[in-house]
Amino acid sequence: MSEAVQPFTTIGHVTPRVDAIARVTGQARYTNDLKLPGMLYARVLRSPHPHARIRHIDTREAARLPGVRAVITHENAQVVWGAGAVAGGRQYSDAIKEITRQRRYIFNNPVRCVGDAVAAVAATDRHIAEQALALIQIDYELLPFVLEPEAALAADAPRIWPEGNLCLDVHNQAAPVVAEHGDLAAGFAAAEQVFEQRYDTGFVHNAQLEPRCALAHWQGETLTLYTPTQGIANCRHDMARDLGLEDQHVRVVCHYMGGGFGNKNQNQDADLIAAILARHTNAPVMLEYTRRDDWLGMHGRWPTVQQYTVGVKHDGTVTAIQLIGFSGMGPYRKNAGGIGGLELYACPNRSRSLSPVYTNRTTSGNFRAPSEPHGVFGIESIMDDIAYTLGMDPVAFTFKNMLRPTAEQPFTNYSLDACIQMGVEQFGWQARRNVIAGSDAGPIKRGAGFSFMMFRAALGMSSAIVQVDARQRYTLFVGVTDVGPGAKTTMGMIAAEALGVPLSQVEVVSGDTDRCPYSVGESGSRTTIMTGMAVVEAVKDLQQQIAARGMPTGDDILIASATPSPTIEGKMRQCFGAHFVEVEVDTRLGTTRIIKYVAIHESGRIINPQTARDQIRGAVIQGIGQALHEDLLYDPASGQPLTTGYYRARHLTHLDVPTIEVHFLEVDDGYGPFGAKTVGESGIILAPAAVANAIFNATGKRMTSLPITRDKLLGAMA
Amino acid sequence: MKALTNINARSLADAVAAASAAAARGQVFAFSGGGTDLLQQIKDGTNQADVLINLRTVREARTVSVSPTETWIGGLITLTELAEHAALSGPWAVLREAAASVGTPQIRNVATLAGNVTQRPWCWYYRNGFPCFKVGGSECFSVHGENQQHAIFGGGPSYSVHPSDLAPALVALDATFEVLGPGGLRRLSAAEFFVLPNQNPARENTLAATELLTGVRIPTPGAGVVSTYLKITDREAWTHAEVSVAVRLQMEDTRIRTASVVLGGVAPIPWRLTDVEQWLRGTALSAPVARQAGALAVAHAQPLAKNGHKVPMTSAAVERALLRLIPA
Amino acid sequence: MGDTSAGSSSPQEGHPTAPSHRTGLEGAGLTPAATASAMTAPSRTAISLTVNGVRHRVTVEDRWTLVGLLRDHLDLTGTKIGCDRSECGACTVLMDGKPVYACCQLAVWADGADVHTVEGLAHDGRLTPLQQAFIDHNAPQCGFCTPGQLMTATALLHTVPRPDAAQVKQALVGVLCRCSNYNAIVEAVVAAGAQQGGAA
Repeated sequence: MSEAVQPFTTIGHVTPRVDAIARVTGQARYTNDLKLPGMLYARVLRSPHPHARIRHIDTREAARLPGVRAVITHENAQVVWGAGAVAGGRQYSDAIKEITRQRRYIFNNPVRCVGDAVAAVAATDRHIAEQALALIQIDYELLPFVLEPEAALAADAPRIWPEGNLCLDVHNQAAPVVAEHGDLAAGFAAAEQVFEQRYDTGFVHNAQLEPRCALAHWQGETLTLYTPTQGIANCRHDMARDLGLEDQHVRVVCHYMGGGFGNKNQNQDADLIAAILARHTNAPVMLEYTRRDDWLGMHGRWPTVQQYTVGVKHDGTVTAIQLIGFSGMGPYRKNAGGIGGLELYACPNRSRSLSPVYTNRTTSGNFRAPSEPHGVFGIESIMDDIAYTLGMDPVAFTFKNMLRPTAEQPFTNYSLDACIQMGVEQFGWQARRNVIAGSDAGPIKRGAGFSFMMFRAALGMSSAIVQVDARQRYTLFVGVTDVGPGAKTTMGMIAAEALGVPLSQVEVVSGDTDRCPYSVGESGSRTTIMTGMAVVEAVKDLQQQIAARGMPTGDDILIASATPSPTIEGKMRQCFGAHFVEVEVDTRLGTTRIIKYVAIHESGRIINPQTARDQIRGAVIQGIGQALHEDLLYDPASGQPLTTGYYRARHLTHLDVPTIEVHFLEVDDGYGPFGAKTVGESGIILAPAAVANAIFNATGKRMTSLPITRDKLLGAMA
Repeated sequence: MKALTNINARSLADAVAAASAAAARGQVFAFSGGGTDLLQQIKDGTNQADVLINLRTVREARTVSVSPTETWIGGLITLTELAEHAALSGPWAVLREAAASVGTPQIRNVATLAGNVTQRPWCWYYRNGFPCFKVGGSECFSVHGENQQHAIFGGGPSYSVHPSDLAPALVALDATFEVLGPGGLRRLSAAEFFVLPNQNPARENTLAATELLTGVRIPTPGAGVVSTYLKITDREAWTHAEVSVAVRLQMEDTRIRTASVVLGGVAPIPWRLTDVEQWLRGTALSAPVARQAGALAVAHAQPLAKNGHKVPMTSAAVERALLRLIPA
Repeated sequence: MGDTSAGSSSPQEGHPTAPSHRTGLEGAGLTPAATASAMTAPSRTAISLTVNGVRHRVTVEDRWTLVGLLRDHLDLTGTKIGCDRSECGACTVLMDGKPVYACCQLAVWADGADVHTVEGLAHDGRLTPLQQAFIDHNAPQCGFCTPGQLMTATALLHTVPRPDAAQVKQALVGVLCRCSNYNAIVEAVVAAGAQQGGAA
């Protein structure tokens, strides 16, 4: 079980990023900052229609514009973007990509959403490329469209794919994804009360500040791709597969990138389009997406509808949970479309039927904890409701029902009770919460909400190389990119600790597939634990070499590599968290303000306290945005998106955010690099639920739809 | 961005002449004050200008001159200057606060009074390129669509709301609008300057394409005037008003002698609440009076399917704005 | 890899009348210069401006934005383009001492202006106290908004030497941080001000 952590030399100390100076002087070179001799600029033309067949596309006038070097469309560039649509939403599997039938091309016909790419132009400057787009003439045959997942499953709904609108699974079968545990009927039979509620959640863009872009450069048969990617190794493999190349003929480089939050995994269509334009113009091509391109080319968290039925006994024991869910995937199945949360509960009788559905909105992609925050909002809203209806403190209700280790399913350690208890104290839960929801006289009503989570911190394969020269300079090669969390620094710190040298003696080489070994990619919150473990193992190897042969002399270097695949012997390895939030709801103006926010996390041993803290703070604030503001609204009559961009989506500003108090409960469970666990995604998982529950506690009105905008709030007050 | 030609105007007259010349050549042109919104519209294609007439090079119309009876404010003064101007203290709060509530410091550092008052609507249909009334079409797509942000007063046939923060403040201060065109200078009351969609759904004001808003004249508020601007937004800053309220009260001891109450963000033009203004006359400002004024404010509201929330919001906003002006 | 269709030669799913899938670019795109259309050349204007203390005389296309001039023609890529429409603030530079969105300023409007960008903050490798505070407080996460935050904060510290958190938020509200590292950014600016104010 949990051991209090022992202090280390480097790990656990606030450490500035190894590339901090470049980041504050403008010297950090992001993809779009690069320039190659003879480089062309490229732009993409997108469908203005939600669903249409291209009858004819005429690029002649665009091609004649002086400065235009190439125009490509579905007619002359038919390339499958393998990662753009995959059966069952199962990425990282060549076998599944091979059998995928509903494929996404870089240019599709029919076009299936506003923003589906239809053509691209490379020209000597970006203005000319833009002008050329306007000269492309397209004759569209408009097709009927559907925007909402449930409507898309109606018998008479427009068909987005010949097989129907229910997404195909990994076996190319159109069937809901069903997970059953125990005996649901018995569970409801044992219940003394049954609660039902329907929730829906919005369509949230990752909205990373750096729009997608790609610089492609061919030298002979070898492609060098500079691109903001969360995984250079995955991106390289995807590019090679899609272009019919061997992996070693693709080099992917990413030294700095302006965020991703899950949506720059795999390769992007921008990468493929740039590569193809570069091939055909025989010149390096910089493809730039506008902010609108980025918004509509690939979106983020899928919108969902969640219908819950929960059976409980009068004492608050949950006996049955049923979820029937629908996720709007847009017209291509890029990712799973999951709705998580049921697994947080110990209740043995659980059923989840999930239908990922095609719609003519833009494609849903992964956004930070892809399946969790919207699902946790749903399940923890109905559980909060049940607790208050039964006259229970939601914390007590949670202690009664949350999943705990059992003899059959042990954990490497378990800290949820401790996290919740710490939050109750740090936040002042009993004093801040209204025992009767909505009892504040108002009109500005205060209330407090709570939610909890656990999230995988599993181990897995990744690689690292470490070397030392005669001057005792250590160089660490890791195939990570730094999306923002500080992976270069974290990897350096793990190496320094393992080596027993100061961080200043370790140089970290990353972000280049020609120089670095495979790394798992900056997704799934895996870098620290998986690549970090490889660093630890590589250092062990190096130390053994040093022990055997002594330190290198002269021009010699010693090199060690490791590709461990550690296991956790059938145990569950989870990180844990509990969030407590106080809100102020102006019930006459419909304004919600966050007054106090306390986030308690157990993420194992913390490598760099500062960057870990700011991962949580940032994730929480993104979660508040998801709770209160962000959604891609569509006009039902035309199928046009109305709220693209930061202004329309009301992203939180400096003035909208409170100080987020973060407390880490540090433990070392004996697994992972020095006991480190997941951080990056965990903070967002429970934030929307906590905010929504606080709004309920303040107002006595249960908000069942995210985002909780003013019109919905005032509608509930009326 | 599309190709365009920039013309640096040397004076207001020069700018108007450049506009007339461009019009005569059949070119699409636009005046550029701060240019922030204009460049967005050009990039989006909702403004097709081939010629930009740059007003930054104009030295006139950037000052404030105050006499005991009348104050003149140049149309090219920036919002930052307006928000910080030493001459505009005390009873001018409504104008200062309105200027400070616009956008962000970066926008206010270049944006002008004239540009803020004459900016086009931010309706998501218009800005997303729908062929609506605002571009000469014959439909308002909000009517049967997503109208959460649309008008509850004065709508029809177009329901987009006036986005300006300065406009309600200026109307509350009884400003006269000075307009320079090829035919010379015109002075227009607010009633003459702003135009409802039932008269011209394509426009929000009566400026001709070749005319410039060069300044405003305002009766200098005397002793006993108090004012404020309350703006309710969906996030704390960097957005337009869901509802805003500009209030100016001429007090006589604790009683209201005259009142101006003008709404932003809820009507196609700054929306003067004459009923409320008349009702407030002679009352002693108090919390119950503010509450009643708020109730009266929405007596004639006509919400659409999805903007009903703006009715209680407007009521509450009027009440809160008046409450701010109760002497401590 | 020889042509664009290497990934697949199958017709697109769900398309009953599959397009002919020609490969390569024959018949499309490649520009015959002789048949170039009669586009008129874009208007150009000679301007001069000072950037980070260096005087530049440049001929710009009238349609170039200021951020385009900085990044594409003066090789000052520290200033970022996040939205290109005054919605994010990443492109913030100082023009005559004041923060402006360089994406929504034409370069030609900057004629005669004194412009400062993130590259001009440090001198001879010596960071400003603000830059150092950004490092110490982990203000940059992905770093893409950092130049905009830094320039806006630099302007603030010129006028308000020791801002409190509320003043910092007011001044910096026009730069978004999607990593949402707002707390750390505000802490950094307050700390820089405290240090600067203390020294003054």
